[in-house]
Amino acid sequence: MRVQELILIIEDDEAISKMVSLSLNQQGFKTLIATDIKSAMRVIHANSPDLIILDLGLPDGDGKGLIKTIRSEISTPIIVVSARNDEKEVIASLDAGADDYVIKPFSIDELLARVRSAQRRFLGLQPAVKVIICHEISLDIEGHLAWMRESVLKLTPTEFNLLKYFILHRNQVLPYARILKEIWGVGYQNEMQYLRTYVNSLRKKIESDTARPTYIQTELGIGYRFTCDSSNSL
Amino acid sequence: MKLIYPYRHYVISFLLLLLITIVSQLFIIHLGLINIALIHLIPVIVIALRGNMGLTMIVTAISVIMFDLLYVPPLHSFDVHDLSYVWSFVIFFLVGYTISAQAKRIQGNAIKEIFLNTLSHDLKTPLSSILGNASLLLKEQINDPVTRRNVLIQINDSSQRMNRLIANLLDSARLQDNRSALRMEWCDFEDLVGVALQEFRYNPKQPQIDIHIDPELCLFWGDCALLVRLVVNLIDNALKYTDEGKQIALSITTDSKTIKLLCFNESHPIKKADLKNMFDRFYRIDHSGDIGGSGIGLSICRDIVSAHNGMIEAYNVPNGVCFEINFPVTKSPSSGLKELL
Repeated sequence: MRVQELILIIEDDEAISKMVSLSLNQQGFKTLIATDIKSAMRVIHANSPDLIILDLGLPDGDGKGLIKTIRSEISTPIIVVSARNDEKEVIASLDAGADDYVIKPFSIDELLARVRSAQRRFLGLQPAVKVIICHEISLDIEGHLAWMRESVLKLTPTEFNLLKYFILHRNQVLPYARILKEIWGVGYQNEMQYLRTYVNSLRKKIESDTARPTYIQTELGIGYRFTCDSSNSL
Repeated sequence: MKLIYPYRHYVISFLLLLLITIVSQLFIIHLGLINIALIHLIPVIVIALRGNMGLTMIVTAISVIMFDLLYVPPLHSFDVHDLSYVWSFVIFFLVGYTISAQAKRIQGNAIKEIFLNTLSHDLKTPLSSILGNASLLLKEQINDPVTRRNVLIQINDSSQRMNRLIANLLDSARLQDNRSALRMEWCDFEDLVGVALQEFRYNPKQPQIDIHIDPELCLFWGDCALLVRLVVNLIDNALKYTDEGKQIALSITTDSKTIKLLCFNESHPIKKADLKNMFDRFYRIDHSGDIGGSGIGLSICRDIVSAHNGMIEAYNVPNGVCFEINFPVTKSPSSGLKELL
């Protein structure tokens, strides 16, 4: 892992790019900073970074357009940095092909967790196994069963599908519309009430304190994230 | 009294007009038309000082009509024989307009001034803590890990406080700006409470908040981000005014027509006048000078609640203070969602 992976930081604010770069260096990453879209593309072509951190508020253009351009060429993980009150932009970026996001002001721990999780997914470090274990939950995909500690979880078919989708995409931000489309099908993307109701009932079955959930985290205005990494939890 | 209160300016000006009419009618011979005209300007000036243009124009119109009907010859008719009286009427409106516009400007400046003073105070307090502690770390070689950690906790706390204040200001601007800017969707209060608690995850008092949520609670049609802000402000307020080891409880219950939020914290009772006024902008109970925070949190709570057509109130209970919010349930999610096990 520590073979000096290169992370490109696309950010016009020097204070932030310095801080991010410094903390990433301390974690053993090499970093390059680009302050606009033009130079970012140049670095991408010349140095082929392993991961990209992109601020959506760049002076010379649209971050989403840049994501699309990058995606049409390479599949390097992209983590988007956004200002508060910009959920629509975040969702649009995720739809355009970004892998994850953080919202300003963010803690460096948060960003590092996202970087690690995006890396793991990209490198396919999550082995294909029959039973996936997340803390106290085990999921047997083929057997269509889920356990909480030693006992079998009594789930409705939709609850099971939801849990399965969450666990298969653990530690990833999952926009509402994407979950609805995957679980309920095309045409249900706006039926938020279904999702809210089922997340609520699923939480009652898997969380020990539903007001302080440790598995299903709400990403306000954007979606849910199923946390399966002890360093990410509350 | 409560019913009349919003219309008190109308009531005052009509009483004034009535008084003026009585006085003018009694002393009509002694006063003369010019003085009577000038007396009729009094309600216009009084009401114009409120800075409400619409109200001023209504009162001016009534004043002019009364003057014309009762004193300008021919009496008891709207006809005006002498054109110079038309000028008097125009001057009435001009006076009303000018004073109203000025009053409005002055009021606007006063609000801006309070706003800026409070803001700069509330932003500067945490900022100076951040700057002070950061420069301490830069200059001094602090070897004691406990001291170091304390300094860092201070920086972190103050940054969180600033972040919350800015979030409040942005939401407040969104609310003031345009009510239709509400982003309505189906919200799960349990979910929102979870997000709100996340904001306090580093607060040592956070785990002692006792949360009770009715398992029958249905989804609520509202602006989820604002409702999170509401819960954050209530919790923030409770944490601020509760000592360590004391009780804080948040409960959400429902019957089919309303959703009720109760936020209780153990503390000394609050004075009656304060209970009412603390929802006003920039109001702060004065003996709390050492507690960081702004008078903006609870006023935003009130704005958020009223944007959802709800009611908020605070009252003393035997060993503490309770905030109660009632939201009317106007829309229910379509039934038939639940599948059988």
